[in-house]
Amino acid sequence: MHLQPVEVELLRRMREGLRAVLDEGDRDDPVVARLFPSAVSDDPEADDELRGLLYDDLLAARLTGLDELVALLDGGTRHRGGLRVELDGEAAVLVLGVLNDLRLAIGARIGTEQLDRDAVGDDPDLAQRVAVMDHLAWLQEQLLAELDPPSVSVHDDLRP
Amino acid sequence: MTASPMPTAPVRERDPDTEGHVRPDSPWDVIVWDDPVNLMSYVVFVLRRVFGYPEPVARKLMLEVHNLGRALVAAEPREKAEMYVQQLHGYGLHATMQRTS
Repeated sequence: MHLQPVEVELLRRMREGLRAVLDEGDRDDPVVARLFPSAVSDDPEADDELRGLLYDDLLAARLTGLDELVALLDGGTRHRGGLRVELDGEAAVLVLGVLNDLRLAIGARIGTEQLDRDAVGDDPDLAQRVAVMDHLAWLQEQLLAELDPPSVSVHDDLRP
Repeated sequence: MTASPMPTAPVRERDPDTEGHVRPDSPWDVIVWDDPVNLMSYVVFVLRRVFGYPEPVARKLMLEVHNLGRALVAAEPREKAEMYVQQLHGYGLHATMQRTS
């Protein structure tokens, strides 16, 4: 994976932000709600129970992922004005997952259910967040193309 | 009955032959819900990785999630269903389990 300095900076900053949110663990925070969603349908008691059981491991895995991402960035080498990060298969899957957590966090923060892309231009802050989300998506697609090319083939039939 | 839990009908329809035959270890449905953030390719990747489905199956399920809002991705005994939900949550998919009706 080859990253420009601005991308590295962005990832480091986002990692700090998400880690703070996860440490806080406020269930009313849309980000927390999205990263620790419901687990059982049609049974609120069972849902509470299972979510409680899953919470610690899921939180630990997310925090570890964020730490690992930073460790990988720290271990990268300077290459052509940017940062070159060597990823073996498992590291690539980990980074893919962390990028996904970061995108989910942005999505929850801006409330993608209501996102009207045409209106984004009027709001610079929103526009920036959407741009970051899209950029992280592009990084994910690059990783997927290496990790699992068949999964990326879904795009082929869906071009207009 | 094939070994694959892959459904050929929408969730709402139940095979009439199995209605009323509730086994003691009645399975739980594992459902993946749509969300606007996850990439289609990422969902396919996760379904392949978690369940080992071939690409056409994973893709079909992903499209069901995308177009219908949800898809039944597995039916398993309780503990296994919980494990799948845990794994799917780990990848950032919204998945729930519910008793097979």
